[in-house]
Amino acid sequence: MLELQPKAQFSVVIPPKLLQEGYLVTFSSDWPSTHDAIREKTFRIDAVNQVPYDRSFVLPESAVGTIYRDVDFSNGSGAFQESIYPEQQNSLFEVLLGFKPGNFLSHWYIPAGKSVHQLEYAGMYPVMTDNTLKYLGSRQPKDSPYDDPRIKLYLVKDLAPLIMRLFVLPGVDFEKIVCGLTINKCQMRIIEAPTEDQLLKSKVIRYYDYLRW
Amino acid sequence: MPSQVVTAHTDARTIAAERENAKVLLKSLTIDNQRGNTDNEIVIQDFITISPYYGVGAPGTTTVERFKVQAIVGDMITLNESDLKGVKCLGAMLLDSDNIDADCDITVGYEHE
Repeated sequence: MLELQPKAQFSVVIPPKLLQEGYLVTFSSDWPSTHDAIREKTFRIDAVNQVPYDRSFVLPESAVGTIYRDVDFSNGSGAFQESIYPEQQNSLFEVLLGFKPGNFLSHWYIPAGKSVHQLEYAGMYPVMTDNTLKYLGSRQPKDSPYDDPRIKLYLVKDLAPLIMRLFVLPGVDFEKIVCGLTINKCQMRIIEAPTEDQLLKSKVIRYYDYLRW
Repeated sequence: MPSQVVTAHTDARTIAAERENAKVLLKSLTIDNQRGNTDNEIVIQDFITISPYYGVGAPGTTTVERFKVQAIVGDMITLNESDLKGVKCLGAMLLDSDNIDADCDITVGYEHE
């Protein structure tokens, strides 16, 4: 049999997951004055470098929610600090994070103790020791698979500590939690007077507080 | 798929070392006790190093039994991937026996996931 494939009328282009050289980023006005060097400024990405980094933790099950591991992405020599924040003002680290399958959940806090995912009614925030509320705002491995990560973080110098709290669900004695990180190091150059077109094309990076209006 | 042959021993033998970013899957297990001198109970053990967590800086290590099978003298047992589905080790995969028997050969196939 002979078959002639018709010419495609359109094609779908999937944009890259990570920032690329030449891309523009703008830091919104809701960044606090402590981040004056980037606040309300537009930058061009001059260079990128993707750094893969796998981290793993073996934890016992947490039946009552008292056993957990905090993964602090900020820099330092603390036992739970991962030190993957930038040290230079002109660096932006775009981090993709995915999990290998497992019987565990993650909760996210920035700064420490303030959940990213809370609702508006009183008490509707993640509570590890509560059998119902421990699932509120939790991210499961399938939400961001290792091979197709969906959790993305934007880290700049001196950002407040971003905490990922990991705990193993009941039903297994132990679990190995494997987190695959791709740290896209972006070197930024400021555009002093961005045009309207540049502002429209740039990716807006907002301060984390906007998640908790 | 890598594999390793060991003989039955009461000192647990390391089949696969721990790899930090992977679990070890047991893919095949063949116990050849045809020439063996005694019945042997073969145990797949998981040697786990627990990570520090809130309030516990050095939790230490523990060993968990993941699979156990009895090999009678004169028998040969072959277990394939479907028989062993779900058997995985978080840390190093070890193989232990209740007897020392140099004539009981055990072949273990495994993979890191």
